[in-house]
Amino acid sequence: MELLLWAERRKLRRSKILWIAGFATVMVALIVFAQGQFTFYESRYIDGAGWFMTAAQSLATFYVLPAVIALLGSYMICREEQEDTLKSLRLIPVDEVKLTLSKMVLALVFSVVIYLLLFAITFLVEAVLHFEALSIGLVLGNLKTYLLDGIGVFFAISPIIALVARMKKGYWLALVFAEIYSFAGLFASMSEQLKTVYPMTAVFNISGYYDASMVQVLIGIIVLLACLFWRCSF
Amino acid sequence: MSDFVIETKKLTKIYGEQTAVSSVDIHVKPGRIYGLLGRNGAGKTTIMKMILGLTPITSGEVDVFGQNIKGHEKRIYPRIGAIIETPGFYPNLTGTENLEIFAKLRGTPRPNAVKNALEVVGLPYRDKKLFSKYSLGMKQRLGIANAILHDPELLILDEPTNGLDPIGIAEVRNFIKDLSVDRGKTILISSHILSEIALLADDIGIIDHGVLLEESSMEDLEKKNRKYIQLQVSDVPKASLILERQFHVTDYAVQDEHNLRLYDTALDMAAINKALVVQDVAVISSQICNDTLEDYFKQITGGEGIA
Repeated sequence: MELLLWAERRKLRRSKILWIAGFATVMVALIVFAQGQFTFYESRYIDGAGWFMTAAQSLATFYVLPAVIALLGSYMICREEQEDTLKSLRLIPVDEVKLTLSKMVLALVFSVVIYLLLFAITFLVEAVLHFEALSIGLVLGNLKTYLLDGIGVFFAISPIIALVARMKKGYWLALVFAEIYSFAGLFASMSEQLKTVYPMTAVFNISGYYDASMVQVLIGIIVLLACLFWRCSF
Repeated sequence: MSDFVIETKKLTKIYGEQTAVSSVDIHVKPGRIYGLLGRNGAGKTTIMKMILGLTPITSGEVDVFGQNIKGHEKRIYPRIGAIIETPGFYPNLTGTENLEIFAKLRGTPRPNAVKNALEVVGLPYRDKKLFSKYSLGMKQRLGIANAILHDPELLILDEPTNGLDPIGIAEVRNFIKDLSVDRGKTILISSHILSEIALLADDIGIIDHGVLLEESSMEDLEKKNRKYIQLQVSDVPKASLILERQFHVTDYAVQDEHNLRLYDTALDMAAINKALVVQDVAVISSQICNDTLEDYFKQITGGEGIA
């Protein structure tokens, strides 16, 4: 497994998708920063300590990062077939279940890293703008939320990765499906019941981005585990 | 224990309503080069894929190293190196980086395995060129390098000279020959280029429309196709007697009741004709024939398609 993870990491060398992901994360931060310039009661949103770190999460999760993570996960799986390397791997022989598992583990790590990158950017901007106003509790709380967002979003989009890998029509489809799937979360968030069971919003219930009861958190965990189970059943 | 490195029994592959491979029995002996010759689409790649377990078998059996590959992959695959169709590699990596991944996943113990394999196929080690920028010939070479990386006992090479320039083809041919002669490797190679197979193979299997039409050693095939004098006479037994007693001819074959083949083309045909006629054997015709392997292939497959 360690060897497969090493190989998967090597295979991503010079991969454009990593740059696309980095660029998308920075763009999210820039767009939210631009949003923060709007004023509310004669005060800019960005001037509120913690606002940037909080606001970036919803935009990133409903519009951008799930699609990027799904794209990377699908790319790692689909490329073996598209680039015709699967037959060479089969002849080694490589256990295909372990191979897929290593790709999913890497996608999970990538999901966490990308959310932590977004956290790092927003935290640095917050630190530059109003360092004194930032409490350790606020920063660590956000760090925990971002970390859980990264893990949860991966769980939530894993069925899409599986679906696209199964369809074998090209990994770019993951981008489209994940975009629709995550955007729908915006509407799900308007209903308390839907918010609890819809995977994308369930992530926010678990991470603490939404104020959620223990029952909602537990249901959210069950929903995300079901997503992962569904992915594994493919 | 089987005497063959690869043995197939009634190997058949059916896609939908189309039979791609029909009851093929192949016997690859240890230390020899077996050339699978056939037109494009004859079923060569499908046979190789079935041997390697890359595609399911409809019916029949495949034994590699005396064992069915299914269920014994971990034991058998490390003893095999293969290129099937076009070699697949990661386009965003260099040739060396690609091979390093496969070498490590295989657990190749030799420290210089990648460097050696690249040297053998004439590709630079630690070159910065990405696989996506490789020419077809370079890709093919890298495929061969990957196949020999772990020093396998058996090589299965599907059209390995595809896309190579004439010098490259000669280099690969020599290299394959060396692997067999010097290192005792068993090689199954497919090609639609007859001259390639003729120059390389020790044994040959001719396949057409999924059917193995002939399997024989190259020596036997050459014997069948060497230069000969075709002699058509009225009485073959009597003619044979005259040839043996009067001209001491032993290297000949009786075709049917009127035809003989004399394999010594230096014989004095004028004297033979005269002797036969004098002893009441009518000579209907006598001519020198020279069937090439190509003629033979066309004869048994009944058409074109071989370069």
